[in-house]
Amino acid sequence: MEQLRSIIRRKPWVGAVLFIVTAVLVFALGLLAANIMERRTETLYLEQRRINIEQLEPRNEIWGIAYPRQYQSYQQTKDTSFVSRYNGARNFDMLERYPNLVVLWAGYAFATDYTQPRGHYYANDDVTETLRTGTPVEDDDGPQPATCWTCKSADVPRMMNKLGVEEFYDGTWGEKGPHMVANAIGCVDCHDEETMSLKITRPALIEAFERRGEDITQASHQEMRSLVCAQCHVEYYFDKERFEEGVPYLTFPWDNGLNIEDIEAYFDSIGFTDWTHELSRAPMIKAQHPDYELYTAGIHAKRGVTCADCHMPYRSEGGVKFTDHKIQSPLNNVSASCQVCHRQSEKELISNVYSNQDKVMEVRLIAEDLLAKLHIEAKFAWDLGASKEQMEDILQDIRHAQWRWDFSAASHGASAHAPTETLRLLGTSIDLSHTARNKLARLVAELGHRGPIPVPDISTKEKAQQYIGIPIEKLENEKEEWLETVVPQWIRKAQERQAQWPQYKATDRRPSFVDD
Amino acid sequence: MGIKRFFDFFKPPRFWRIYVNSLLAVFVGVVALLFYISNAASYMSDAPETCINCHLMAPHYATWQHSSHREWTNCNDCHVPHDNIFSHYYFKAQDGLGHATVFTLRNEPQVIQIKEAGIRVVQENCIRCHSDLNEHVNLTEVTREKNLHGEGKLCWDCHREVPHGRVKGSSSTPDAQVPLLGSPVPEWLRKLRTRRQNPQNR
Repeated sequence: MEQLRSIIRRKPWVGAVLFIVTAVLVFALGLLAANIMERRTETLYLEQRRINIEQLEPRNEIWGIAYPRQYQSYQQTKDTSFVSRYNGARNFDMLERYPNLVVLWAGYAFATDYTQPRGHYYANDDVTETLRTGTPVEDDDGPQPATCWTCKSADVPRMMNKLGVEEFYDGTWGEKGPHMVANAIGCVDCHDEETMSLKITRPALIEAFERRGEDITQASHQEMRSLVCAQCHVEYYFDKERFEEGVPYLTFPWDNGLNIEDIEAYFDSIGFTDWTHELSRAPMIKAQHPDYELYTAGIHAKRGVTCADCHMPYRSEGGVKFTDHKIQSPLNNVSASCQVCHRQSEKELISNVYSNQDKVMEVRLIAEDLLAKLHIEAKFAWDLGASKEQMEDILQDIRHAQWRWDFSAASHGASAHAPTETLRLLGTSIDLSHTARNKLARLVAELGHRGPIPVPDISTKEKAQQYIGIPIEKLENEKEEWLETVVPQWIRKAQERQAQWPQYKATDRRPSFVDD
Repeated sequence: MGIKRFFDFFKPPRFWRIYVNSLLAVFVGVVALLFYISNAASYMSDAPETCINCHLMAPHYATWQHSSHREWTNCNDCHVPHDNIFSHYYFKAQDGLGHATVFTLRNEPQVIQIKEAGIRVVQENCIRCHSDLNEHVNLTEVTREKNLHGEGKLCWDCHREVPHGRVKGSSSTPDAQVPLLGSPVPEWLRKLRTRRQNPQNR
């Protein structure tokens, strides 16, 4: 050091050279660092493991190895924290919130239990936990048919492929349970395992298109971004004459069109009823969840916006664009969904939706209240000794009035998807209810009754269920026991089955069999 | 003389001089590197490519590049004030540092929304170039001040396609060809590397 210092003292330019050389060295080292960083980013892409996914692979976590971003966002459908004004991602009790529903569905399983649905991740839990599916122990125990699994599990395409579609629908819900419980709705339900392109896996939609003379394979990618949802989020019924007497064949009532009048006319023409109402004895239709039908009646559909555009908006992470598979209410993701097209603030957009929802709910509650009264008054007329002929016309009105109300209410997103159409449905429902109540008032007077018809107290879920005569405590206890005894057996069987399948590790490029 | 005394004060003792000089050199070298990889010199220019130094702006570049505004404007013509040189560079520096911070912290939203200050600047720049047009169609009342008071509209409330289109978001133009930043590794170094890896290519 002493030497160098003296050199620099003698020749100051040596110091300057040292400075410059050091600077250049650091610069070069930095370039190296940048180079390394670049290579590291490249490995991120290379690490996108392209494992071979087996045909109709139901295990979502296997697909997740190949498509980590999509899978991780799908897993977020676990998140139940979001609550909006009328809905949300958690299981709240709809019957408690709207006790009139118990009377509206008297004699039908919905009167026992009806909760607002959670995310796809919970599909299997929700369908096993609801009282509506009962407590089947033996293979031929009811109450529900195997068809009820069609939209609940990623094992459905595998089982349909194995058994055949008709044989899949044949039998009871309980009998198919062990084949279904392991994998919630997921990747295989909408995607081709080879190409990852969108795919229709549920035959009912394909058949509905065929009966209308349309070919679903001609649908564009943009249309498919709604149609994969329309495999399940639609109005449907079980056609028991289609295949073999009694086998409930899943069918969409779209032959005349997707409008409520078209579907109503279709049901009337085939004389279809879901159940006979316990109080009014009206031949009822239960609307399921006509989300797709009502969506097509709205402005977003008319402008070519698909389900995925709002419920699964695109995301960018670095330079990678992918679809957010956390399928959820756009109200929980306004910036990535609504604001792609709408320039208004998040607050304003949410308030616009809420304003529509408030108005629809105001009218819906009127319709609901009228329908509850109608059923009770019809029962009163029967009790007074009304004849079938006298009641026939009235019961038809009740059928149509409730169907119109249900179509708007069962589709949870109706007031956002198609607010005017939803209000029209509720308006016609109210009109039909008033017509029926007029006829009933005249009939009751003819039968000798004067004054108002007494209405029982149905102001809470408990009171309403007590009035109908639903042994709710017994049902709940049975369910609880069943969930602790039977379902774990189902899950064990499913695990044993899956243990025989190809196992993958995150580092694998190809599946390796356990026995190898 | 005062200046010399000032620097003399900072001069390290003789023994430390060599170390201090080396450290200073390291610092200067790293700063030079940062200057180089962040493409810092480009920020003094008005070239639209500067704005896609950060790939978040790629959709905005792509949509502008396919719009008629491409023929006459660059990003700064609309998004930076032009009333005087001081506010021009002050706004540019303020905006740029804000954006750099958000980008570094990965805080960017999926859909980037223009902020209050930006709205004012863009609206004034619409008027700056389209004054003739405004005169004829009697739109002189379309100003940010009016809009803030709830009167009237902004130009792009009606001209919604101008110039970035109506569909926004970081994913809106996934396949657009935009001249994004390439590798900071110079060509000669890269060649050296490939030659090493594949000697037969010599």
